[in-house]
Amino acid sequence: MTQQRILLFFISIVFTITVYSQEEQDTLKVKENYGIRIGIDLSKPINSFFETENKGIEIVADYRILKNYYAAVELGFLDKTTEEDYMNFTTKGSYIKVGVNYNAYENWIGMNNEIYVGLRYGYSLFSQTLNSYTPNVKGTYLIPETLEPNTEFNDLTAQWVEFVFGMKVETFKNLYLGASISFNNMISTKEPENFKNLHVPGFNRVFLNNSGVGFNYTMSYLIPILKKNK
Amino acid sequence: MKKYITIIILSIFTILSCEKDDICIEATTPSLIITFYNNETQTELKQVLLDSVWSINLYGIEEYKDISIDSIAIPLDLNQNETTYIIENNSVKDTIKFIYDRNDVFVSRSCGYKTIFESFQIENNTSNWIKNISINNTIIENDTAAHITIFH
Repeated sequence: MTQQRILLFFISIVFTITVYSQEEQDTLKVKENYGIRIGIDLSKPINSFFETENKGIEIVADYRILKNYYAAVELGFLDKTTEEDYMNFTTKGSYIKVGVNYNAYENWIGMNNEIYVGLRYGYSLFSQTLNSYTPNVKGTYLIPETLEPNTEFNDLTAQWVEFVFGMKVETFKNLYLGASISFNNMISTKEPENFKNLHVPGFNRVFLNNSGVGFNYTMSYLIPILKKNK
Repeated sequence: MKKYITIIILSIFTILSCEKDDICIEATTPSLIITFYNNETQTELKQVLLDSVWSINLYGIEEYKDISIDSIAIPLDLNQNETTYIIENNSVKDTIKFIYDRNDVFVSRSCGYKTIFESFQIENNTSNWIKNISINNTIIENDTAAHITIFH
């Protein structure tokens, strides 16, 4: 009985060693690119094309800091006029978002795709112009005229956090196409007097509960800086 | 992969189901609320037999035609700082001219701005059936209480 067990013990040790040594021999040295990836958001110029009163541009960049982690930044500018039932206003300003992406996608050897979750801190400096409004009154007995105050509220700021879900696919060597959706939550804003920041560059439409949604479709190019083992 | 798609879809629905601010549900520009009181007792409501109520140069307000009523809510002119109304009670007309300052206050995305009226006063009025008028509040900012009382 004891002898049998000792035998089994040795057999298993031998087996493990063989299995390990096999793996060692099979392993290929695969190099992966690390570098700065720079691109633009394609959806903003397309929006500008269809809506003349919506001009925007966004530059995106990320840098691979660890195997699955990327430091990411987005820089943008927006000049957009929003038409509501009782008013019309223009939001104009620039924004920056910084944060990290975690790539949760397990690539096959040679592939460089990403399905990621990310976190961002966003900051925007902007102005709002109240172009026109019509006082809201029930009924149609005495109809108010539309007023055009063109009031400009300058030096407004907003900061927020974003939770990002997205993917990036390497279509040609070092050229990536990406899409992402972000869920934004306002931390603080400097509000205009007798008006409200209903739209914030980078944050987009500010909903009643101070949340927002963003989409982007990016095309970016990876500038390889160094290669590291996988 | 499947797990992430589920998370993404769930998150989209969470956002989409958030409160909508497309429908205006807040209070907007208030109307001028007038109550009619008995001039003898000063404390009890007294109905008027309205033939019509109209703003000068306009047609009569639809809901106040040939009706016995003890209070009315009429809109004030938002394009100027005065509104003149003619109230015809039992075939007797009286003219009242209201003057005020307008102040536009931001309400919300869907409601836009509402106008509130300050320094509200009666510049002049005729006294054919109206015996006395008292102003309850010189600021008209909501529809919850009567702003002026007419004794007759």
